[in-house]
Parts: sequence; C-alpha cells; structure tokens
Amino acid sequence: MKVTIDGKKIEVKGKRTVLEVAREKGIFIPSLCDHPQLTPFGGCRLCIVEIKEKGGYPPSCSTYVENGMEIKTKTPRLQKLRREILELILSEHPNACLICSEKENCDEYKSTIRKVGEVTGCVLCSNNGRCELQDVVETLKIDKVRFPSVYRNLEVKKGDPFFDRDYNLCILCGRCVRVCQELRGAAAVSFIYRGSQAVVGTVLDLPLIESGCQFCGACVDVCPTGSLTERGIRYEDLPDERAKTICPLCSMGCELIIDLKKQKILSSKPSDEGAVNEGQACVKGRFLIKEVVHSPRRILKPLVRVNKDLEEASWEEALDFVAQRLKKFKGKEVAVVASPQVSCEEYFLFQKFASEELKTENMDSSYRFSPLAVIDEMAQENGLELGLNFEFKDISRAKTLFLIGEDVPKSHPIIWLEVLKAAQQGAKLIVASPAELSLNRYSSLWLKIKPGTEFYLLSFLSKLFLQNEQEAGNPRIEGFDSFKSSLGEFDSSKVFEMVGITREELEEAFGLLSEAEDAAFLFGMGLTQHPWGTRNVAALWNLALQAQAQLFPLGLENNLRGVFEIGQNSSDKGLNFNQIFQAASSGELKALYLAGPAPYLKKANLEFLVIQDSFVNENFKLADAVLPASTFAETDGTFVNGEGRLQKFNKVIDPLGDAKPDWWIISQLARRMGNKGFPFKNPAEITKEMIKVIPGFSNISYAELEKGQKVHTQDGKRKERSFIPVKYSDSNHEKIKKYPFLMSLNYSLDYYRSLALSQESKGMKAIRDSRWIKISPEDAEKLNLEEGESVVVESSSGKFKGFVKIVKSLPKGILGASFLLGEDSDFSVSGLIPIGFQESHSLGMLPVKIKREK
Amino acid sequence: MMDEYVPTKLDEIRAKISESRKEKKTCITVCGGTGCHAYGCMKVAEAFKDEIIRQNLQDSVDVRITGCHGFCERGPITVIQPDGIFYQRIQLKDIKEVISETIINKKIVNRLLYTEPRTKEKIVYEKEVPFYKKQRRIIFGNNGFIDPTDINDYIALDGYKALVKVLFDMTSEEVIADIKASGLRGRGGAGFLTGKKWEVCRDANSDVKYIICNADEGDPGAYMDRSLLEGNPHSVIEGMIIGAYAIGASLGFIYVRMEYPLAVKNITLAVEQAKGLGLLGESILGSEFKFDIHIFRGAGAFVSGEETSLMASIEGRRAFPRQRPPYPAQEGLWGKPTNINNVETWANVPLVINKGAEWYSQIGTKNSKGTKIFSLVGKINNTGLVEVPMGIKLREIIYDIGGGIKDDKKFKAVQTGGPSGGCIPADKLDLSIDFESLTKAGSMMGSGGMIVMDEDTCMVDVARYFLDFTQQESCGKCVPCRIGTRQLVDILTRITKGKGDEKDLEKLIDLSASVKDGSLCGLGQTAPNPVLTTIRYFKDEYEAHIKEKRCPALVCKDLIIYHIEPDKCVGCLLCLKNCPVDAISGERKKVHVIDQELCIKCGACLDVCPPKVSAVSKYTGNKRDRILMKASRQRVKK
Repeated sequence: MKVTIDGKKIEVKGKRTVLEVAREKGIFIPSLCDHPQLTPFGGCRLCIVEIKEKGGYPPSCSTYVENGMEIKTKTPRLQKLRREILELILSEHPNACLICSEKENCDEYKSTIRKVGEVTGCVLCSNNGRCELQDVVETLKIDKVRFPSVYRNLEVKKGDPFFDRDYNLCILCGRCVRVCQELRGAAAVSFIYRGSQAVVGTVLDLPLIESGCQFCGACVDVCPTGSLTERGIRYEDLPDERAKTICPLCSMGCELIIDLKKQKILSSKPSDEGAVNEGQACVKGRFLIKEVVHSPRRILKPLVRVNKDLEEASWEEALDFVAQRLKKFKGKEVAVVASPQVSCEEYFLFQKFASEELKTENMDSSYRFSPLAVIDEMAQENGLELGLNFEFKDISRAKTLFLIGEDVPKSHPIIWLEVLKAAQQGAKLIVASPAELSLNRYSSLWLKIKPGTEFYLLSFLSKLFLQNEQEAGNPRIEGFDSFKSSLGEFDSSKVFEMVGITREELEEAFGLLSEAEDAAFLFGMGLTQHPWGTRNVAALWNLALQAQAQLFPLGLENNLRGVFEIGQNSSDKGLNFNQIFQAASSGELKALYLAGPAPYLKKANLEFLVIQDSFVNENFKLADAVLPASTFAETDGTFVNGEGRLQKFNKVIDPLGDAKPDWWIISQLARRMGNKGFPFKNPAEITKEMIKVIPGFSNISYAELEKGQKVHTQDGKRKERSFIPVKYSDSNHEKIKKYPFLMSLNYSLDYYRSLALSQESKGMKAIRDSRWIKISPEDAEKLNLEEGESVVVESSSGKFKGFVKIVKSLPKGILGASFLLGEDSDFSVSGLIPIGFQESHSLGMLPVKIKREK
Repeated sequence: MMDEYVPTKLDEIRAKISESRKEKKTCITVCGGTGCHAYGCMKVAEAFKDEIIRQNLQDSVDVRITGCHGFCERGPITVIQPDGIFYQRIQLKDIKEVISETIINKKIVNRLLYTEPRTKEKIVYEKEVPFYKKQRRIIFGNNGFIDPTDINDYIALDGYKALVKVLFDMTSEEVIADIKASGLRGRGGAGFLTGKKWEVCRDANSDVKYIICNADEGDPGAYMDRSLLEGNPHSVIEGMIIGAYAIGASLGFIYVRMEYPLAVKNITLAVEQAKGLGLLGESILGSEFKFDIHIFRGAGAFVSGEETSLMASIEGRRAFPRQRPPYPAQEGLWGKPTNINNVETWANVPLVINKGAEWYSQIGTKNSKGTKIFSLVGKINNTGLVEVPMGIKLREIIYDIGGGIKDDKKFKAVQTGGPSGGCIPADKLDLSIDFESLTKAGSMMGSGGMIVMDEDTCMVDVARYFLDFTQQESCGKCVPCRIGTRQLVDILTRITKGKGDEKDLEKLIDLSASVKDGSLCGLGQTAPNPVLTTIRYFKDEYEAHIKEKRCPALVCKDLIIYHIEPDKCVGCLLCLKNCPVDAISGERKKVHVIDQELCIKCGACLDVCPPKVSAVSKYTGNKRDRILMKASRQRVKK
C-alpha cells in the first residue's frame, strides 16, 4: 500500500493504524489513550487527522491505513481542535502548573510554588516528570484554559496494597481498564457511571483486593497521569540511573528495568524487551524487588560464634575461621545445601567446592521439591527423555489446555498471560481443581474434583482413550501393552464417586481432549507434592501421549532448570535434600554448609554449621559462622528459566554493607583452604568454565550471553516416547475421623532465599499472608472459627500454627495453606512432618485437623 | 418438523382462522398500548367481556385487546369493528351502555364520541377523526386490528405472506434488489439506504453473520418502536426473517429496553409463537433456511442505541461505541458481519415485499420514500403516534393531525429527532418532512420524536434541558462529548441564571463545533444541535438573557418574578394558603403581597389564583426590576 502523510510518500505493509505508521516515520501525532500493546480506544481524540475524501476527523489510533490515503496531521483546524480538546481535558485535571508561564523557572527555583494549592500543583504530583499529560501540553503549547476548572473531589483510594488511586487526576484514557482486561484477564477495574460522573472503578466500589486484582501493576505502568501511583515512590524524585536485570522471584525469568537513585533501588518495572514477559510483570517483580534487596532483615556483616554468641567479624577473620574449621570434615561427614535461587555460576561453584574441596557427594538443593525433579525421577526409572523441549510461548498457540493442580494466575502470573492469549483465540480450557479459581471464567470445563484424586481422574481419561483407540485401531506407542494391562486393573466403577464428578463431565473432558490439536498440559506442585506424586506424573505423561499433548511442568525457583542441568554433572550417590536434614538430626552428619532456605534445624546434632545467606533466619541460633551473601541485584550471573532459557542478569547496585556475592565467598574460602581451582575474579570467568564443563550448556555461546539462549537438555540416549505402566493400590485418602480435613497447599514462590515475602512485605501479606489457614465458610461456622483467629493444624506426625482465613471458593473438608521455605518454623507447613521434609513429595493432601490455639 | 412444502399450510391456517371468525361479525377492539394501559384499558376490556357473557352475546361479539392506536391523548380507546365506531376516554361505567345501545340497538353513544375541538362536531368513525385522516397508516394501521399476543391475528391479515414469497420464489439478490428499489431508508436516525446496507453485509466474507433489531428507543418522549413491538411484533419478526434470508444470517437479536416491560413480554411471546409454527428455527416452513431470534434486554443507557455500543452491550461489555470503520456490516457482533436496523425499518420490509417496491416508492419524496411514524408530544392538542407519508408539511402534522397548539397559544418551535435534534421555528412550518430538508434546517429525522413548543417555552432553557440530557447520557468514552457537553451545559445554565456574558454566544458556537467535529459517535456529534439551532433561529432570546437579563418566555426562574397586581387582587387568601414557603402576606379582603426575598418561584400562586381574578403575573426585565426596586424601597421605609 502507498499512502502519503503530510505530503510524505510512505509504503505500508499489513494492517496498520495511521498512528503506528506515522510514528514509525517520525511524524509526531499527540495522543493520550493509545498504547502499543492495547486495542485502539479512540477516546482522547487528540490523535485526530484529516484524510482526503473522508469526512470528519478520524482518530489515527483506530483508523487503519488504506491504499492511496492522503493524510494530513497538522492542519490549522486540527491543531485548533486538538488544543480545544486538550483544554477540555485540563478543565478536569489540575492544570495551574501545566500552563504556568513560569514553570521552567519554578522547576529550578520554586519561585512560584505557593501560587497553587499543594494538591493541584505539578511539583508535588508523584508523577511530575513522568506525566504524559505534561508532555502533550508542552507540544501543543497550551498557555491558558478557557473553561472553568471542575475538580471531581473524589476520595483518594489508599486502602489497597502497593499503589494509590487518585481518580481526581484521571483523564479516562481507559488504558488501565484495557490492560487489566485484555492483557491480564483480571478485569478488576472498569468504567463506572455515565456522563460527567464517569470514572474508573471496581465493582460496587470494592477495594481492589476484593475485586480480582492481582496487583501486577500493569495499570500503574500504563497510566499516563499520576492517577495510579506506586506508593513506594510517591515522594521520591526521578531516578538518576536505570539498569536491566532478570527477576529472581519465580521461574519465568522476566526482564526488569530497575530505577535507581543514589545506588538505592526506587522501583522495578517490566521491560518491553523481556523475551518472556514482553512488558508485563507480576506483583513480585513489579513491587517486591526493592523490598527484597533493601530488606531490614539483610545481614551485612560476617558473624562468627565466639564462645556462645555470634559476633561481628571482618571477612578475613570469618573466612579464616570457616576455612580452618571446615578442613576437619571430609566426605560423608559434611554436606552442602545451596539455594536454586543463586546463579548458575554460584551453584556450579558450590558443587565444585563440595566435590573438589570437601570431597563429598552430599550436595543438594530444594530443587528436590520441584515438578522437574519428579519428572526426572520418573524418567530415569523408565529410561525416558524428559520432554522439556518447549517454550512458554507454545502455550499461547495451544488449542486445548488442561490445567491441573495449579492456580496459574496466582502461582505463575506470566504463564497465565500465555494461557489467556490462547483462550482469547478460542482455545478450550479444562481446569481440574477442587476450589473455584479466578481463571474458571475463561474455562470451557471445570472439573471440580475432590482433592488428591487427580490420579483417578487421569487414569479414567486414559481408559476412555483406550476404549476409543481400540475401535479406531490407532498406531501404538512403545510400552502400550503393559500400560494397557496396568490400566485393566483400574476399577472405573467407583471413579465418579471417588473423584466427585459425573460421567457426563468426564466424557466432556475426554471429548475435548480427544479432539484436541496442539494440546498443552500444565501442572505444578499441586500434582507432584502428593504421596503419589510420581504416579500422578506418570498418569499425566500417559494421557499426554494419548492426547498428543505437550507437558509443561511449572516449577517455583528462578534457577531450577540451571540447578538441574548443573546437577547432571554430579554424582547422585550422596544424600539428597531430605536425607541431609535427617542425617543432620541423627548425628550421621558432622558439618553442614547451608546456603539457602532450610527447615529449622532445632534437633540437629552438628559439630559445625556455616550459613551463607542474605537474610536473618532461625537457624542462625545454631550457626557457628554466618557469611553475608549479597542478593541477585549486587552481582552478575546467569539464570536458566523454566523453559530452559539461559539469561544473563546484571549487577544493579554495589553489594550492601559488607555483603559479598556467593561466588566470591566460595572462591575465597576455597583458596584459603588451599584449593587452586577457584581463581575467579569475576562471574564471567566462572561462566566460561561452566559452559565448558556442563553438558546441558554445551551449546551456549559466551559471546552471545546477553541474548538469552536455550539450554540443551536431551542426551539423545533415552527413549523419547513410551508409555509407563501405572501402579494401583488402595486409596489412602479415606477420611480418618481424627483428621477430618485434607490439607491443600498453594504453591507460589513467595520466598527469596530465607526471606518470606508474604510475611515481610506488608503488601504481599495483605494479598496472601503465608500464615493464613484457609477454610470454607461452612466448616468455619461448624467449628465456630472466626476470621483472623489463631489456630493450630495437626497431622498424625506434626503441627503448625496460623490464622483463620474464610474463603468462599474453598469446598468443605479442605484446609488451604501456603508452601513456603524461609518461614518461621512454628508457622511453616513443614511442621506437619517432623525433621524437615521427610519425603520429597508428601506435603500435599495430608489428613489433618484444625483447632483453636489455646 | 414441518411437512415438505409448508407454505400452503400457512394458507390453510389463514383460511381456517378467517372461517372461524366469520360467525362473529362484531369485534370490540380495546387499545392495549402502554398509554391506554395507564388509563385502565385492561379493566375496560375485562368489563366488556363480562358484559358480553352476561348478555349472552359471546357467539356474535368478540373482544380483542389490540396494539396501540396512536391517539394516546384520548385513551382508553375502543373501536367497534367492522364499522369502526370510535369511542374515546371510555370508562367502566360506560360499558353497559355501549353493549346495550351500540351492540344490541345499533345506536351511537354520543357522549363517548370524539369532539373536534375547533368545530365542536362529534365524529363517529375512527377513519374520520382528523387525527387519523391525514395519516397514512401502512405500518401502524394493523395495530388496531391485531391482538399482539395471538399470531393468528397477524396471519389472518396476510401475515408471513411476504416470508413465503421470499423463501420460495425469490433469491436473496432479488430481495435486496427489491428493498433497494423501494428506496427504503433506515428509520433509526441516519437514514442510510436499507437495501445498500443489506448488500454490504451480504457481500461480506464470513460463514457467520448476525442481524440485530435495534429497539433501544431512548429519546425522551418517543415511543413508536415500543408501540410496534407491543402492538404488532410479528411484522418486525417477519421483516427480520426476510432480512436474515437476504443477508445470510442465521441468528438475530432484538435489543429492547428493560423499561419496556410490555414490549418485552409481547415480542418474547411472539418469538415463541413463531417458533411454534416453524417460522423460526431450523428449516423455516420446510425450506432450507434456518434462523433464530434472541431477545436481549438493555439496561437503559441512551448510548446503547448507537449501533457499536449496542453490539458491545450484547457481547456483555460496557456500552461504549467504537470508531467506525470497520462498520458492523464488515466487523460487527463478535467480529462477524452484522446488519443492524431499527424496529420501524424491519416492520417496513414485509410491506415492500408484499406490495412491491414500485408501490412503496410512490409514497414519499424523491429521496425519502414511504411513511414515517412520529411521536407527537408537547404543547399540542392531540398527542400520540402519527404515521405520515414522507414529504408532508410540518404545518399539516401540527395543525391538521395534531389539532393545533394547546389553549390556543402561539406555536414557537418544534424539536425533531430526539435530544440531539434541532428546533425548527414557526417560519419553517412549511418545511417538507424528509431526511434532507430536516438536516438542512439544522435538525434531523432521528427516530421520529417531535416535541411541539408554544410561546411559553424559553428556547435557551430548552437547549439547556436537552444538553443536560445528552451530557448525563454521555458514555464518558471520548473527551469532547463527556467534558464538552458538560461545559456547554454550564454555559447555558449560566445564561439562564442571568450570568451570561457577551462572549458566551461565541464560546457556545465554538465549543459546539469542537464537540461535533471531535466526538466519537453520533451521540456527541449531534449533541450540540439544540444549541446551534436555537442560536440560529432564536438568537434574540439568548441576547435578551445575556444583555438584558430578561427571559422573554418568562421561564428562567432567576430572571422572573411573580407579582400580585394590587388592583386585581380580591384578597381571597387562596394563594397565601398555597404558598409552600409562606412568602405571601395579607388578610382577607386585603391585597396580598409576595415577599420577593422568600419567593422560590414555584408558580403555585399563579396556578391557584382564580381565572376570573387572575391577579398573579410574571415579569421579567425592566418591569421586574422596577417591582423589585419598589419592594426594597418599601422595606427600607418600614
């Protein structure tokens, strides 16, 4: 297509708006409601243009280019109309400063600051300098507003976490409404009322926290005025520096832009260039980075136990102390536990340190809890490839999605965006969940299963496939016969009662799955943290083969995949995560090097305990030395996200206090212990060595590290496709009178190392307090429990404390709690099983009882 | 499932119905429109039925509650068919007499006849009532014969004949060609050529298409669409099925306001009955064509009448309009090609098919064909719904059909086209009523509202009133409409309060132009019309308000006073007792005085002062100032 804009001849391809084309060619058209990621709105009317042979003044944001169009963007009539429209906008928005002739002087000398009321002056607006309205006033050269001002005089809404809403500043561009609906699928805000009363608001004017808001902050990011403001920067000046890095608060690997002022983090925003997040973030990435890095719980000095007390020491002293003591333990006497939240380089060094210096095979991390670990276990048993060759973007291309055991919008908000895209393009969503989830409004089918019965559901669906296949005579995949005969043992007559859904619903689910093209199965710890975790995954694996679906395991920690790849290079003969803690309490282990969140070691019987962490935690009481590690923001390195994308993250600020990066601490320690294999001066040197050594990183090019590259997991030796026979035994989900409830856990990564975000961040606590014990209104009434009351939850083997939270969407007979490492032991769900986590995947669906705390 | 060739079956049904009705020659039809409902027509109809049974006449006399007859001013309306004897303002006590006199003795009850106000002549037959005489009731006429809750009534009057013709004898191209040739234009406001619109939608490339009947009639005082849905729902349904056949749609929606309970009830019932006879659903009348209709109730936002917001509302979103193109015919409901027409437009369709495009196109003017239903309200003697051929003179509607201005006042202006239409002054009374002429006069056809104003109407106040309506009903999406209309209202309010300044007129014109040019949808683009036309035709009134602080029509409260003429007041205490704020002082047989400081200008004194006395007057301008001055001098003296 050929068009002319202001006499300029332009060649256009595809369906583009006039505004897009003009911007691309450097022709400026003012606009306020348009946003490149959102559907055109056409509300602000500033981007109007004239098009030859078309009447009126169409807005360029919602007018698509047609061949031969002659467009004018700057005729006198247009400019006059724009100015008048902008004057109308300003009549509803505080404008005294915007149009003040002395504003330039005032910025510097504040000479006229007293001329306008504090609330209506730009200088005190939190958005001053970031305001798009200021820019437009500047370019349209408005110097007076002929219309009388109309101040809406609405109450500023300050009751919700993280950001304030001052609709007196709102210009009704609708970006927040659109981003919430179109990109986030939450639709928490909408336009309300009509005429001059029209404004943005929530249903029944409820607080955001009750209206489905996920606090992703997308609305704050698109707001052109100071209407939506992050509370944390309300009174802060503009940033003096800006840096890019990767978020460590879940397994997505979102790219963030960090705003800095004098080496302090002001705020973090999603980067438009992020390969995974493309301009979106979640509540953690958007609002918690600052709270994590500048947490008051940070340890900023090495501590060494002198006599009975931990005392501050210099690095020299602390390192010497640890080096000398640690030298005494070798092999099976010592173990290392590191967090899957440290960088690849650091985990690589921990592993190297364990095997080369401490000569021990006892090295593990909480990676053990991840779905990836369960699949790996299952795959190893059956000689299978893991089937991890996917990208998150594949989810948006799926035509049928099966979501099981995970509340994706909460646990993996960015994955949810991919699911939403698929749903918006007409994909069918099948959700298997006992509780009603926010995403159910997008689902084609909600299988309201009884908790913990996923295995029966999956097996029955497999059986329906088998019956169908026999008729159709489909080609068979390896392992089919033993799979088929193992399914033969499955008594499907009781399945409806056990799972709690009807035959019709199951057949509908089968119908959707059997017709599915490009199916995607999403599952997480809800499925794997179960006494039958491995079996659940095997059942899902088989069903996925039948439905020709791709499996998407959703893990928690940011560097799980990296830790997994690096772990492939070590022996698996040593103790694993759980065994290490058991050994610590039994006395088998003499020394422990702890670098990550761990259960409380109260009963531990250790001779030497080193803790390398960024935050104060309970285990300090037992530590002989504490080495202050810096956070992700204070060093460089790489993370591998959940889809296997190795991404470089960057040092944003200098380490706080005396904290040092993990790689530095380990290298220094190894050197002091006389090891010559740790000569690293910076992370880059470690990266170079690591990609040489780790098979999964063999195709990573150091030169292109900034780009983000996929790691290579398959070794090509194992089978790609094979059925796995499933084992049946009697259900152990019978209700025991003494323990009438089942424990259902919520899995989202609400901790960074030893910092419990949903405890330490006030905002996070309001959204999902990790100490909430969720209960249905019916059960709460029956037990006479009130919101906020202290309660104790007990299993046959342990207990933990919490506070009652009554949740309507929860069915009877289920208690909900959060899975959280780093939480105080009294309040940690791990208290249900004594001595840490005895079995790696048995936390879910424990029979428990609940009572009021005395 | 119907038999193979069912159209004949429809003829059979029709024959059966007329056979069964042969016996009963007399039919008492009682208007069941919303207006007559308010007058108690249902009780009247019940009473007729009871009386007929009492007199044992049930075999020869029928009672039928029909659709709206249009002459709502004189309800409840009863017409005795087949003669067409027209009784008006009929009450329960009249029933016995009507049965014994008119039905049994074949005598006319003179008392119940309509009296022509000017000649004082009693008129016996409906068709001779001047209100109906100049009308051409081709769409609306059947309302008076049909019980809208009985599909048989519609079928008996050749209902669904056009559908049979279309389904079995015409291709979709032929249907569109016919509609095009008839010159039918959309009755919803913009007056786009219906056939052309259908053609665009038909040619759009998509396997799924929708049609919509826009029954979100929001103009204050306009209710022709309601009357059609209430009174003759099947004519709309038949039109829609024909349209769907021509366009290739298999699903249609009727978007009707919640505030029209009777219309919702009747159209819902009609759709069910049509389904029952196989006129809707799979393989209609045994043909290969399938089509179904959903009733969608709107929540009463004026903007929902705008086609793109109406579709947003059906999709479950807030009724926001969106920029066109793409037009609904390209990307409409759920992104599929959609044809949307107004109720009245759909009701025209069967007529065009039945009687032919040539017949239809002979009615009306060169560019505006057929008839148009107007709702004639305001300061006029005969309020009601009138259907007139296009091209009729405004004068004919107001004086011949409408019976002139109430209380023999002077005609000042008529506002056409709803709140965003314009005001047409007295010197344009010979304007021809068609799309082009109305637009040229600064107003528009709109959906057919016609509000008549007399000399007691202040045109500035009228403009303020209409702007206030559009301002409140603005959806809030685009700036010029949301804030621009608000600023217009503020300026107009200022003027009516006597606080306007010389620049305000210019400001109004300037801002009106911006609102017109800048707004997204028709609501905003036409909202300034009342301002612009009143300034164009009644500039002197604006100037009187601004320069002289005078309201010539004595309406704007801040610019007038009520005054008791001392030489006329007889001291009857009536006004004194009725004053809600005790602003009037005086004693029996002594002259009463209004305390201007306390007076809230409610006009109660004027209303209660006996006409013989008529001692209360309204004053504005100089006279007002003089009285106020005098009053304050007296206060100082005391």
